Amino acid sequence: MSIFTIDEVRKTFTNGEVKEEILKGVNLSLQEGEVTALTGASGSGKSTLLTIAAGLQSASDGQVIFEGENLTAMKPEHVRKIRAGKFGFVFQFAHLVTFLTVEEQLLLMLDVSGSKLNKQERKREIDKMLKLVEMDHRKTAYPTSLSGGEKQRVAIARAIIHQPKILFADEPTASLDSKRSKDVMALIRDLTRKLNIAALVVTHDEEMLSFADKIIKMSDGQIVQKI
Amino acid sequence: MMNMAWKEMKRNKGRFLILGSIVFLVSFLTFMISGLANGLSEDNAGLIKDLPEGHFYMTKEANKTYNLSRIDNNTQNDIFAKNSNTFALSIQMGFLNNHDGKQQSVAFVTSTQSKWFQHVKKGEVIFDRSVEDNGIKIGDTLTNKQSGGKLVVKGFVHHSKYSHVPVAYINMDDYKEMFRTSDMQLMYIPGEDKAPTFTGLQAFSKDQFLNTIASYKAEQMSLNMIIWFLIVISGMLFAIFFYMMNVQKMGLYGILKAIGVKTSSLFRMMWTQMAVITVIALILSIALSEVFNHMAPKGVPFQFTFEITFQLSVVFLIIGFIGSTLSGLQIKKVQPLQAIQQGEM
Ligand SMILES: Nc1ncnc2c1ncn2[C@@H]1O[C@H](COP(=O)(O)OP(=O)(O)OP(=O)(O)O)[C@@H](O)[C@H]1O
Ligand SMILES: [Mg+2]
Repeated sequence: MSIFTIDEVRKTFTNGEVKEEILKGVNLSLQEGEVTALTGASGSGKSTLLTIAAGLQSASDGQVIFEGENLTAMKPEHVRKIRAGKFGFVFQFAHLVTFLTVEEQLLLMLDVSGSKLNKQERKREIDKMLKLVEMDHRKTAYPTSLSGGEKQRVAIARAIIHQPKILFADEPTASLDSKRSKDVMALIRDLTRKLNIAALVVTHDEEMLSFADKIIKMSDGQIVQKI
Repeated sequence: MMNMAWKEMKRNKGRFLILGSIVFLVSFLTFMISGLANGLSEDNAGLIKDLPEGHFYMTKEANKTYNLSRIDNNTQNDIFAKNSNTFALSIQMGFLNNHDGKQQSVAFVTSTQSKWFQHVKKGEVIFDRSVEDNGIKIGDTLTNKQSGGKLVVKGFVHHSKYSHVPVAYINMDDYKEMFRTSDMQLMYIPGEDKAPTFTGLQAFSKDQFLNTIASYKAEQMSLNMIIWFLIVISGMLFAIFFYMMNVQKMGLYGILKAIGVKTSSLFRMMWTQMAVITVIALILSIALSEVFNHMAPKGVPFQFTFEITFQLSVVFLIIGFIGSTLSGLQIKKVQPLQAIQQGEM
């Protein structure tokens, strides 16, 4: 049994009179310790699928099963708790909180996830995580003084500091140059293995696919290829 | 959640300092005007305001103008017989001149025996202390031009002003001679219970009576209007400020919601900031008003009372809360989804 399964998910948007089916019955599953890359042309429905999977918007039909529970049938507050405690997010832009230092970003995530660690343990955990993403030398820096790649590394640290089961990343390298993109993808792959996380990474970039354990290609709201 | 509110304020001192100083200025202005309103009301009707809660009576024919009211001896005696602590009084504006002809405006007040008003013998007068500033001393003889009568200054009392001039307590016989009447304008019955009724007389509570004095009513009403206006402005300030802050932070809120931050935590963050700013601004402006209270030039009728200031402070906090909450309603609407596809903030 995989930890996370998407089962016949459909999504229809209504624009005035016009009904448009963006997802036409999608199935996939994620495995712990694996990076699953989601690729496909622009507008094929990748982001829509990822946000439904992550409980950020509802599906029109189908199920999203996480740890045996159906996300699509849950109350919003329950979904929020799962997002806070069990999911991690990385987006195209780091979206760090401008008025918090690097270590405070991670501390915030620990707070939000309802971590039971005490102050010392949190500090240790944060130091460890910042070492992993090689940002320990900028602990007290504010986001404005970081480069794009550095910000993204902090965002990745924030996404996994609370030891989530699933990592969702939507174009995490799109704002970075080729070298930095590879670093970031390598980092995601290494952390996924080390911490036994199941990662779903949306990417446009062919080069990034080499970092994935599985590749899923979408076209026009359907999965056309699984590698 | 960790003290994000503080962290943001520390990081963006400038913005919050600006809001804080505006709130400080508005609340300071409000306290000043409230102190002034209070001082003016004391200056205008201290004589009446300092009486205990009770009821005033004037004749119905006077039509709420105490000057026109004439309560004759029979009616007075009727009321004296049925109520204790009651007294009759009259107030007339007028002048007294000292030996070299200098004029002093006063409010002549006379009353039957009572524990709240001064009683003087015929030919004598007791003044509010403020006439000392015009060089009037105990033992001086002053003349009243209308009647030609002479009055000897017997003493002074504190805080007895009416219609912005000092009160001159005079004997009833002198009063009757000066104003050629044997009737009194008003009767006063102390006590908070319901006013007893007397035929031909109309009862007024203290506040109602004060409001029959046109100048008093106009003065207090315009000042209170300014106070409420300032309070509304401060509420709008909060609403606008947090609205602008929140608009800038929509992306942030979306991301925070996406990673699982509760909407209520975001509201609490905003309320904390509102409360911190308001409390600091209020403390500063209360302190400054207190300083002004001691340093106000003698001619400025400023009277700072803690009770009113406290009430206004609570109103400021409530208004700040409402203002920030209204503008914060946008936070509720933010979808975590929106932020994700958006660019860097
Ligand atoms: N809220 C919405 N209302 C209506 N249409 C939507 C909405 N969200 C997405 N769509 C449409 O669904 C389609 C798929 O969008 P989606 O963002 O999932 O594509 P994508 O594969 O992530 O593309 P890209 O690679 O450009 O990010 C698009 O045609 C988009 O216009
Ligand atoms: Mg997309």
